[in-house]
Amino acid sequence: MADTDPKSSPTPPAEPKLTKAKEIQLPSAVLALESTPDGKTLFAACLDGSVQRVTVETGEALALGRHDSYASGVALLPGGQQLVSSGYDGVLHWLDLASGKELRSVQAHQFWSWDLAASPDGRWVASVTGQYRAGSYKYDPAPGTEPSVRVFDAVTGALKHSWDFLPPVQAVAFSPDSRRVAAGNLMGEVAVWDLETGRIVSQWKTDDLTSWGIIKSHHFLGGVFALEFSPDGEHLYACGMGPMRDPMAGNGVQRWQSFDWKTGKKLDQTHEGESGQGLMEALAFHPDGKHFVMAGRLFQGTWNLALFDAATGRNLFSIDAKHRITDARFSADGQRLFLAKARQQELKNGRWNEFGLIEIHTVSGLGA
Amino acid sequence: MTPPPDPHTLIPGMAGATCGQPDHVLHRRKFLTGLGAAGTVSLGSWAGLFSLPAFAQQAKRTAKRCILLWLCGAPSQFETWDPKPGRISAGPFRSIPTKLPGVHFSSLMSRCATIADKLAVVRCMKTDQNEHLQGINLLNRGSAPRPPFVRPVLGSVLAQQLGHLDNPVPNFILLDPCPEGNEFKEFKAGNWAGWLGAQYGPVRVGGDYRIENVLRQADLSAEDHESRNALRRFLTRKYENDRKSAAAASQNAVFERVKGLMSCADLFDLEKLPAKDRERYGPGAFAQHTLQARHLVENGAPFVMVSNGMPWDSHVFHNEIYQMLTPELDNVIFQLITDLEQRGMLDSTLVVAMGEFGRTPWLNQARGRDHYSKAWSLMLAGCGIKRGVVVGGTDAEGAEVDGQAFNEKNLFATIFSALGIDPYALYDIGDLPSFRRVEDRAEPIREVLA
Repeated sequence: MADTDPKSSPTPPAEPKLTKAKEIQLPSAVLALESTPDGKTLFAACLDGSVQRVTVETGEALALGRHDSYASGVALLPGGQQLVSSGYDGVLHWLDLASGKELRSVQAHQFWSWDLAASPDGRWVASVTGQYRAGSYKYDPAPGTEPSVRVFDAVTGALKHSWDFLPPVQAVAFSPDSRRVAAGNLMGEVAVWDLETGRIVSQWKTDDLTSWGIIKSHHFLGGVFALEFSPDGEHLYACGMGPMRDPMAGNGVQRWQSFDWKTGKKLDQTHEGESGQGLMEALAFHPDGKHFVMAGRLFQGTWNLALFDAATGRNLFSIDAKHRITDARFSADGQRLFLAKARQQELKNGRWNEFGLIEIHTVSGLGA
Repeated sequence: MTPPPDPHTLIPGMAGATCGQPDHVLHRRKFLTGLGAAGTVSLGSWAGLFSLPAFAQQAKRTAKRCILLWLCGAPSQFETWDPKPGRISAGPFRSIPTKLPGVHFSSLMSRCATIADKLAVVRCMKTDQNEHLQGINLLNRGSAPRPPFVRPVLGSVLAQQLGHLDNPVPNFILLDPCPEGNEFKEFKAGNWAGWLGAQYGPVRVGGDYRIENVLRQADLSAEDHESRNALRRFLTRKYENDRKSAAAASQNAVFERVKGLMSCADLFDLEKLPAKDRERYGPGAFAQHTLQARHLVENGAPFVMVSNGMPWDSHVFHNEIYQMLTPELDNVIFQLITDLEQRGMLDSTLVVAMGEFGRTPWLNQARGRDHYSKAWSLMLAGCGIKRGVVVGGTDAEGAEVDGQAFNEKNLFATIFSALGIDPYALYDIGDLPSFRRVEDRAEPIREVLA
């Protein structure tokens, strides 16, 4: 074995880092984000109900569609020709990106579509709903009045599955092999269904992401705000906020948890001392499959955007991105991270500020 | 400059003072007359001491009552009575037409929309306090504080004015199961009755708050119990008269109160309310206690305040909270107003639904609405209130009152006027400064008065 020449030794790998590269302002808060594979075009679901196509290079935004309430989700179907959006009007719109015309509209729910996901193989679109209604003296959620998890054929819009799951169901995600779909609710319950059989595969509850108010309010708040399968399909990640005596203070610990979705066994969670306080509502895996980001709102602490090592759970890099982050997406090449943001609304002299933002960060120190 | 005292409208703040309300004066005189007579009778008959059927009958016939749905934490006007469809301030909930042409409520208030012709909505409240404790005090007492003097809360004033001395049911009942509550907790720990005295403070029930030790011991018959009580009352009354003892008088008062509570203990048992009624109102604590409030006023309680901590303070998760809270409130008001009307009690029962202020037209970063006292809404219905009225309004985004605004003094003048109580009567509190029920002769909101 040859001696190592210190002068020719390889440069140690750079520390993982996110660097803000660009900011695009939008009139209304962005609640969900999608990117084309080349990362040149973004699609934003906005609080004013609009679905915007945003050209990253120029920052130009063009409204593609509109919901009668908040637009809450966007999903680009494989091939990049169609976009599906969801809204608090309970409607799913299929938009043809070439013509800008609406192809189809489906009333998926009577209440809000809280979240939307498309399966990686492009066959399915899932949307989740459910209104929290008082179900007991202590305000346990009442059973739903409609199926809260629905899966549609992404090509035809036909309803494939309808499942009852205790509402409100706030997050949904497909497995990387497109064979399963997972959903999470207010009470910290998570369920996984098999898309082929339509049967539930596993279901469990984590008490660490929901709260019953002791101080101000005798009801539940919080729950699962985002779900993401690990790219190898083995684990399911959930995020939200740790339990609080006063959930209306919004000061629970910033928390993700990982599970073996086959058994519901908790594997790991945000490490002690590596998080501040605030609601986390975005999870995204880097294309290297080894890292993920969690983001949301900072109540107290030093960060609201952090990059984690999936194997160890360690917080590798974190920053205070200044505004609430509602969604996060890596570009396919892993070089950029797109963030959807919602700023404080301001009304001055009868005019509203532009309170929507898309932020683009360059990613360094990670594999492709 | 303080207006001169009106000799006809002195309010008893201390023992021995007189009340200006004709109804109440009549009752009091009857009661005092009867007291002497009953005392004479009691020497020969232990049972039925102070029993005055004629008095009780008249009291019931002329009774006016009030239920305050205290929406502590400050509810949003946008998701209740003053929606702004199509505006940025609107939030995700739609607005819907109501039974009143051209009037819309939030879609979360769909049941109230069907009885809008029975309600009076004030959309132009504007007050000065933007913080909870100050706001809670302001909207419960009707005036800014003037330390060290403590103005009684609305419930205490109405307990004094609408209550009856022989009422077995407490004159002021607070139904609130939440033991905590930040500023509301602080308020609850304070002096509610102020210069009227503790006898006009609330009896608190709900959740773990119960009226303890009011069940007669199983081995004691009702006759034995009454005989013992009558003997105790006779002896302590004699002691009180002979010695001029305030302590004995106080003890007598406490025993009378306990006796009243014993006779009406069932009214405080939610389990004893009809199952169908409980189902109609809904399972939540606020709904169940509102039903209980209806039951209590039906059975003689002049003032009941229903609350449930301060859940309306939605600095975070505003829409996520209101998706649940507002439909419950909507149904509760609908059931309550409908029930009162069906029972022929709506014209004699004032229902007020309000909090300490409203919420901002804008969302903060925590997806919440913050405190806002510049333009907010409340609802009144029933006794002395015009039906099917919407008063005032706000600008396009709900940021400012459009036209005349009303404050807490206008509101209190309205409530007192609606209940037939002189809003401007002076409190008789000895050498202390002059205080009126409503200061500055603030006008009631005449548009809502029947």
